[in-house]
Amino acid sequence: MTAPATPADYKSALKPIWCPGCGDYGVVQALYRALRAVGRPPHEIAFISGIGCSSRIPGYTTAYGFNTVHGRALPIAQGVKLANPDLLVIVAGGDGDGFSIGGGHVAHAIRRNVDLTYLVMDNQVYGLTKGQLSPTSPRGLKTVTSPLGSLEAPINPLLTVLAYGAGFVAQATPADMPGMTALIEEAIRYPGFSFVNIQSPCITFGEEEQQLKAHKARMKPLASLGHDPSNQLAALDLARGYGAELHTGVLYRNPHPPPSYDALVRERQAELQRGEPRPRARVLHDCLGA
Amino acid sequence: MIDDLVVGLAGSGGDGVVSAGESLLAAASSQGFYALMTKSFGSQIRGGESSCRVRLSTRKVLNPGGLLDVAVALNWEDFRRFGAELPIGPDTVLIYEARAGPPPADLAPSTRMPAQVICVPLADLAKSSAGTDRAKVTVVLGVLAGWFGLPEEALDGGLRKKFARKGEGLLESNRKALASGIAFATLHPLAAPRALARPAAPGRKMLCDGNEMCAAAAIFSGCEFFGGYPITPSTEVMQILSRELPRYGGVVLQAEDEISGVGAAVGASFAGKKSMTATSGPGMSLKTEVLGLASIAELPLVLLDVQRGGPSTGIPTKPEQADLFQAAFSAHGDVLRPVLAPTSVEDTFPITVEAFNLAEHYQTPVVILSDQEIAQRKETVDPIDVSRLVVLERVRPTPEQLAQGYQRFAETPSGVSPLSHPGMLGGNYLAAGIEHDATGAPTASGAVHAAMNAKRFRKLAPLQERADLFERKGPPDAPLALVSWGSSAGVAREAYARARARGLAVKLLVPTLLYPVAEPVYRAFLASVRAGLVLELSHQGQLYRLLRMFVDLPPGVSSFARSGAQPFRADEVLERLERQAEAIR
Repeated sequence: MTAPATPADYKSALKPIWCPGCGDYGVVQALYRALRAVGRPPHEIAFISGIGCSSRIPGYTTAYGFNTVHGRALPIAQGVKLANPDLLVIVAGGDGDGFSIGGGHVAHAIRRNVDLTYLVMDNQVYGLTKGQLSPTSPRGLKTVTSPLGSLEAPINPLLTVLAYGAGFVAQATPADMPGMTALIEEAIRYPGFSFVNIQSPCITFGEEEQQLKAHKARMKPLASLGHDPSNQLAALDLARGYGAELHTGVLYRNPHPPPSYDALVRERQAELQRGEPRPRARVLHDCLGA
Repeated sequence: MIDDLVVGLAGSGGDGVVSAGESLLAAASSQGFYALMTKSFGSQIRGGESSCRVRLSTRKVLNPGGLLDVAVALNWEDFRRFGAELPIGPDTVLIYEARAGPPPADLAPSTRMPAQVICVPLADLAKSSAGTDRAKVTVVLGVLAGWFGLPEEALDGGLRKKFARKGEGLLESNRKALASGIAFATLHPLAAPRALARPAAPGRKMLCDGNEMCAAAAIFSGCEFFGGYPITPSTEVMQILSRELPRYGGVVLQAEDEISGVGAAVGASFAGKKSMTATSGPGMSLKTEVLGLASIAELPLVLLDVQRGGPSTGIPTKPEQADLFQAAFSAHGDVLRPVLAPTSVEDTFPITVEAFNLAEHYQTPVVILSDQEIAQRKETVDPIDVSRLVVLERVRPTPEQLAQGYQRFAETPSGVSPLSHPGMLGGNYLAAGIEHDATGAPTASGAVHAAMNAKRFRKLAPLQERADLFERKGPPDAPLALVSWGSSAGVAREAYARARARGLAVKLLVPTLLYPVAEPVYRAFLASVRAGLVLELSHQGQLYRLLRMFVDLPPGVSSFARSGAQPFRADEVLERLERQAEAIR
């Protein structure tokens, strides 16, 4: 079968539950275009998500989707990729899913370097449960669970992911659709774990300065700043600006990507299986010496 | 002549009692004896107290045995720590290291002291023969060989295996220690000779433990993915699969935590591969949410829970059968999750194969409830004819179904809908933890939810008729019943055989399918029953209570249950049965 011809071939018949004006509409549109550009047919794509507004996204594509449980998209996606490395595996979720309840998995997905693309739709608030404090909410934010203002410092997703050693780290906003589309495509093409933090505004519970209009005014394309994406230290320095600045583009791309975990696993299997394949019916003899 | 011998040894971590037990076990299995060995430790990583029991027999060994025939104490403090695990009685031959001094007066408070208490200068004999008192456990082996007529060449073979790599000198000195033990036995014979009969069919027997058996059966069943996290006493399954599964094209992922381990396994199942995870009680608690996901997304998964003492950290190194409620009921929402339990090292193989078959055929997570005893005891196993075992594959959509508007969760009479996986053209669907309609589309409709719940329960209804997953023995009209599961079933089998030999009208039921409770099977079995025992190692008596939930147990059937780390003895079960028989006479 040849790859579908238009981005519409990646769009499912399901109608999104998102609020009108939600940034996630832009994200899914950019994703259709990026997938079209990459060219893998939908049945060879596994799209895994957790729980949250943004985690509904797999259902809006024609790929094989798996809308799992809160915070566990990354482990489940690694199982998918290791079970069948031929698949294109994309993972998506919100800032709560990825950096709060599922935060413990991020470091390990990155250090293992399974070839996944992780799209976090970061809106600094819990939308699905109607407006509570999130791990990326700025200090002082007043929400229904922080009525007098949050006393916590937010996590910095860019700095965290860079520090864990991710080989591809970018930030995007639906305020720049061509830019976001290109970044998602580049992340998918990166051979290893890739991360795109998408500043996807929550129209219902988000702050004024987090809306698309404000993004358009605030965003600073890294290319225009002369940033060299192969410079990890410069990327770390830029990442410190998360929250204060809206940098868009590739913060870091490892110029010499090491082999991904799934590639190494496959290589080792091939080595071990050289010669006669081991018949499973003889397992008691071959493994336990019966 | 005797045909059954139970030896228990206890000492400090460095004494080598477990190593001596292993030598004895290896020697026995090489001669064609049936044999079984359990180990027990404190929770220390190194050092601390350690003990083992070895049971040798010319007949199939069903359990670690009751009272010890021979007890070996290298020091009294460690020996006493194992109280219920190394029980002694008047007929036990108790030998102790001379340097430990005579046995404390209150050593056996609940029974008469053994008639034969023999002081052996083990360390001195080791020192004078081998040049080091570290060979004292080899002297013990010599003493046992002398008293019970164990072939010296078999023990010598064991020594060779153990010490060959460590140098000829060490092997030679241990041989001398063995000889000095034999010489001691000759000079100090037992009050009445107790030579062990020769096995009917000489020839080496395979030795393995339940965790090894489970791992091998997973490979046999076609498992291609394992995700897990180390936890006592299940870790060996991951270790064995890490070594072996890649040779069969499979993948093992040591995950960052228990949740991640089961998550990866569910992901691999979604991707179309047979997959598995293994854990113990605390890990099972953590995995519960993802198990619910597998249930509603209708994805096959095998989860091994090797039970240990609980709750919480409990007693990680000792057996208990107290995770049954957790295995059956740890879920939010209406969930039916099959639970199987092996009863020996040997049947761990077919039970594991059955677990994969149920998981794949019914597209559901299945729990195998093993326990620390079965998982970590080493025993001789008769050859398993794997050609008699069927391996099932999940029902996948046909090319015609894929071409004609495939619906992942389509209603079918059986409740089982063909399951596609990524890579299959035309099989694309959304799997989800959220309730969904036949296509997989999310829904909040109460009517669809009810229909889907009904479908997920209906597909498992055939398990009610799986009488083949129950061992039933004895006269069909017997008024007395003995019911047991897991490692306790081995004790029940022996108690049953002895009760029958005494003419008791008793029958035995050993379920390996624990949940769902196969009501018709129990009803048929219990029709003639007026009294009986449900034997299990948990404080609450979890199977007994589970049965009362689903089956009208005759009032005379009672629970015989106690907390873990205090294994049952066949004689105490027999005694209870006799009392019950008396009550209904």
